[in-house]
Amino acid sequence: MASLGARPVLGAASDGAPVLAADEAPNPWFDPSYVTDNWDTIVGYLGQHVRLTVGAVLLGALIALPLALLARRTRVLSGPVLGLSSVVYTIPSLAMFSFLAPFTGPLSATTVLIGLTLYTLVILVRNFLAGFQAVPADVREAARGMGYGPGRLFLQVDLPLALPAVMAGLRIATVSTVALVTVGVITGNGGLGQLIVGGFNANFYRAEIVTGALGCVLLALVADVLLAGVERLLTPWTRAALA
Amino acid sequence: MHRRPRILVPLALAGVLLTATACGESGSSGTGGGSGGGGSASGEACVPVAGDQLVVLEDDQQLQNADNIVPAVNAATAQASPALLPALDAVSAALTTEDLIELNAAVDVDRQSAEEVATAWVEESGVTDGLEQGSGAIAVGGANFTESTVLANIYANVLTAAGFDASVREVGNRELYLPALISGSEIQVFPEYLSTATEFLNRQVNGADAEPVASGDAQATATALQPLAEQNGLLFGEPSEAADQNAFAVTQEFADGLGVSTLSELADACGDGSLVLGGPAECPDRPFCQPGLEDTYGLTFGEFRELDAGGPLTKAALQQGEISIGLVFSSDGALAQG
Repeated sequence: MASLGARPVLGAASDGAPVLAADEAPNPWFDPSYVTDNWDTIVGYLGQHVRLTVGAVLLGALIALPLALLARRTRVLSGPVLGLSSVVYTIPSLAMFSFLAPFTGPLSATTVLIGLTLYTLVILVRNFLAGFQAVPADVREAARGMGYGPGRLFLQVDLPLALPAVMAGLRIATVSTVALVTVGVITGNGGLGQLIVGGFNANFYRAEIVTGALGCVLLALVADVLLAGVERLLTPWTRAALA
Repeated sequence: MHRRPRILVPLALAGVLLTATACGESGSSGTGGGSGGGGSASGEACVPVAGDQLVVLEDDQQLQNADNIVPAVNAATAQASPALLPALDAVSAALTTEDLIELNAAVDVDRQSAEEVATAWVEESGVTDGLEQGSGAIAVGGANFTESTVLANIYANVLTAAGFDASVREVGNRELYLPALISGSEIQVFPEYLSTATEFLNRQVNGADAEPVASGDAQATATALQPLAEQNGLLFGEPSEAADQNAFAVTQEFADGLGVSTLSELADACGDGSLVLGGPAECPDRPFCQPGLEDTYGLTFGEFRELDAGGPLTKAALQQGEISIGLVFSSDGALAQG
C-alpha cells in the first residue's frame, strides 16, 4: 500500500501559522475538565509509569551494585563493565524494545521494564563505582585492622561513605527513567506517554498532551524530592558536620 | 502505511511546520482566480478555490489500495467461539465511511471520549440485535489513534452484547501487536485495515520483496488475504464498506465550480496545467500519489506543494486556497459535512 510512513494527525500552531483544522474547535492547552473527565484513565497511566520507573531503578540498582564492586576490586574489569553499560545506553530505545519484544511477549510491560533497567545501568554503575572508589584506602585499612570482615566492612564503612554518590546516581537514574518510560508507547505500555502520543494522534488534543507531559515533569520532581529526603535521613552525619 | 507508530511524528512535524509556514507566506498568490469557467482550458481553470468544506473526489480508477475496516481474529479463538466472527461481521455490515468520518470528528473535533462515541454508535446502529450468543473473555486490541480506539471500543461493546466478557487493550505498532494477535495470548481481536494487513502478512510469508497482492478491489484483496491469514493462524471477517485510505480532496467550492466529483472528471476539466497539488514530501515519487494521478488519470499539475501526509497542513492549505487538490485520509474527521 501506498506507503506514506507514519500518518501524522497532528499539527502545532505556531505564531503566524495558518489556521489549522485543530484550531477550529476550542482546543485549550489547559483544560481542567479533561483531567476530571478522564481521571481514572490518567491515574491508571500514572500508576503504570510509577511501577515501571520504580521497578527499573530498583532492578538497575540490584544489578549495578555487584558490577560496581566487581569493577572496583578488579581493575582490569572496570573498563569493560563501564564500557558495556555505556554501549547499551547508545542503543536507541525504539530498537531496544523491538529487539526485546519477541522474547518478552509483544505487548507485555516486561519489554519496557528490561529496556529501562539496562538504561539505568550506565548512570548507576558509574556513580556507584565513583562512590566506592572515593572511600579512602586508609579508612578501609583501619577497619580491617580492627577486625572488620568483608561483609561488615561493606555495610558499615564502604556503603555509608559512598552513600552520597550512590544516592546521586539513584536520583539521576530515576528522573531520566521517568522521561524514558514514555517511549514504551510503541508496545502500548508508555505510562503517561500514552496520553502524549494519544493526544497527537487525536487531531492534536492539547489538553491531553499537556496532561501527559506535565504529569511526567511533576512525577520526576516528586521522585527527586522524595529521594533527596531519603538521602537526608540516611546520612545524618553530613548535617551534624555542618551544624 | 499509515497505521504505524506515530512517535516520531512530533519531531518530524516541527520541521515540516517551519518549512510549510514559510512556503505558505511566500507562495500564496494563487487565490485570485475564483471559480473557473466549467472546464474551459484557459490556463486558470483549476487554480485553488478557498472554502471550509472539504470533499473527496472519487477514486474511480481504483488507484488506491482498498483499506477497508476488517476484523482480524485469532483463528483458534474464532474456532472455539463460533459466535465471535458473526458479531464482528455485523459491525462491518453496518459501518460506512461516513460513519467513520463522523466518529473521528466526534473525538477529534468535538472532543468526546472514544468510549462514549463508540457506545452511541452501537446503540444507534442496532448491530447488537439478534446476535448469536457466546461466552468467555475476549481482549480487543486498539492502536493509539482515534479511529483504532473507537473501532476497538465498538468491537468490545458488540462482543459484550453477544455475551462475551470483552475488554479493550491498548497496543503499540503493527510489528508488535500482530504477533500478539497471532499467538492469541494477549489479544484475540483487532480492527484491521484490509490492504495494509494483507501486505504486512504477504511480506511476512513471502519475504520483504514479495509481489504486492492488495489492490483497489476490496473483494479481490480479501480473497488474496485468506490464505495468508490461514498460514499465520489468523482469521479475517467480512471487510466493511468503511475505508480509511489515501484519498484526494478539494474544497466544495472548487468541486461545485467545475462540476466534478471524480478524479477522472477532474482530469477532463483540468488539462491546462493550473492544478496545484499538495501532499507529503514523498508524493512526487510514489505511485499512489503524483505519478499515479498522472499515469492513471492523465492529470497534469502546474505545481506541487510539500505539506504533510493528510495532516492539518494539507487541510489548511486546501481551505485557504493555496492548493487545488491535496492528499487526505478518506475517514478524516475534517471531511464531516456541516
